[in-house]
Amino acid sequence: MDATVIGAWVATGLTLFIFSFLYKDNPLFKLAEHLYVGVSVGYTIVKAYDTVIVHLIVKPIFEQGEIALFVPVAIGMLMLTRYVPKAAWLSRYAFAFIVGVGSGLAIPRTISSFILKQIEDTVRPLLSIAGGDGVIFSMNLLNPASNLNAIIILIGVSSVLFYFFFSIEHSGPGKVVARTGVLFLMIAFGAAFGYTVMARMSLLIGRLTDLIEFSDTSYGRPTLWLLILTVGVLVVLSRRKPQSEPPDLH
Amino acid sequence: MTFSERMLKIDRRIIFAVIGVCTLLPLLYPVGLPIKISPEVRGVYDYMEALPERSVFLLSIDFDPASKPELHPQAIALLRHAFRKNFRVVAMTLWVSGTGMADQLLTQVAQEMGKEKGKDYVFLGWSPGGTAVIINMGQDLYQSFPSDYSGNPTKGQPVLDGVQSLKDVNYAISLAAGNPGVEAWYVFGKDKYKFELGGGCTGVIAPGLYPLLRSGQINGLIGGLRGAAEYESLIGKKGRAVAGMDAQSATHMAIIMLVIICNLFYFSQRRASKQQHQIG
Repeated sequence: MDATVIGAWVATGLTLFIFSFLYKDNPLFKLAEHLYVGVSVGYTIVKAYDTVIVHLIVKPIFEQGEIALFVPVAIGMLMLTRYVPKAAWLSRYAFAFIVGVGSGLAIPRTISSFILKQIEDTVRPLLSIAGGDGVIFSMNLLNPASNLNAIIILIGVSSVLFYFFFSIEHSGPGKVVARTGVLFLMIAFGAAFGYTVMARMSLLIGRLTDLIEFSDTSYGRPTLWLLILTVGVLVVLSRRKPQSEPPDLH
Repeated sequence: MTFSERMLKIDRRIIFAVIGVCTLLPLLYPVGLPIKISPEVRGVYDYMEALPERSVFLLSIDFDPASKPELHPQAIALLRHAFRKNFRVVAMTLWVSGTGMADQLLTQVAQEMGKEKGKDYVFLGWSPGGTAVIINMGQDLYQSFPSDYSGNPTKGQPVLDGVQSLKDVNYAISLAAGNPGVEAWYVFGKDKYKFELGGGCTGVIAPGLYPLLRSGQINGLIGGLRGAAEYESLIGKKGRAVAGMDAQSATHMAIIMLVIICNLFYFSQRRASKQQHQIG
């Protein structure tokens, strides 16, 4: 049998088994869920072993004589001393190295990219210079670089920051600013949720597109047969009497 | 129990069924709703169009099969565009679980476009370290990837002629489902090694990337299945993303209707209970 056909049957079966959870929790869903976890972990371990151990350590050291690689290997091996209580302290050197290098690399880059650049973008000029004639104010809401949007962003950032400033009471004019901040936050949460809904629906569309494709005779109609199987199993399971609770011995 | 109370306690499986039907019907009977191209998607397309032939295009396929429905169509559309423009395509992934899928999709599109491995494209595979890989590639690409995914030495491959590090890349795009992804490529790649960067992402992380787009830190963003559909329309080769847009619109309409109806029932129930209190 062609590998594509086998793949179609496996993909269809697992999709339907996972979807069966929408009816209620059942053994088919559990089977698919456990397979997903097991296969993905197994795949990751195999790929990591092949890439890291074989291609980046063993081959360069023994075939190309890159003995300098023993240094990172030794640091990495120190981490394994966590499993030997008497030698566990050695792993601290490895962790110290990772934390030190990681922080050194990440902190300046993150400050530059996410703080300085974003502040620079927030405090854009509220008016633009048009040639040598004077200044203009663009009102186009659809253009992210328009002056009107620059004002909206300035108000949004200031009011949200004020909302999270808890050292003074949010009353009087402060209440208005804080409420404005909440309004901006709500709009941001709404946009994020809308995008999340779109993403989840896209995943459903992807699976349904595959199910439609695999209902074709060239694959042996796995969608049809496995749908019948899944529904059949759910019917049998729902008709089975629930097992009685074990007697309480206490 | 009033009608609105009954409706608010409706079995959630009925709602699942409604959403399922609203998704399935447009997939079976598409109507072809128009697709408007957004400036952020056009940003990526225009930049690719402006690049000369044999430019070095780096595609980082930073997702795994869990995000395939959204990002796979984006990857296919971008690769078709890159191969049509005769770019030298260098693909890689920062997600170990996406390695096999990335290789399969690159090979599939390359075969479809009649491209030769090693000359027109290379798949570097995955290298451990996450963001450290980007920094390493910025110093020496061959140190991060001494061999490609097939085990061939990367040094000497015609596709990498004149490419020593990320500084020699003309355009890079990260298709991301999370971290490491677009942000990591900006922070540890573009900001340090000064190459142009675009992004593609799932709908879930798209709102978080818009600040990078507005500030010009990335020059374009393809967001979710909708972004993929826009890109497919731009290159004139419609695929799975365009086919899914009718279903996407139908499900969104269904969800909006459900939200409105639920609110109506909620407020009518609240008014009824208030009236009962007043009578009591």
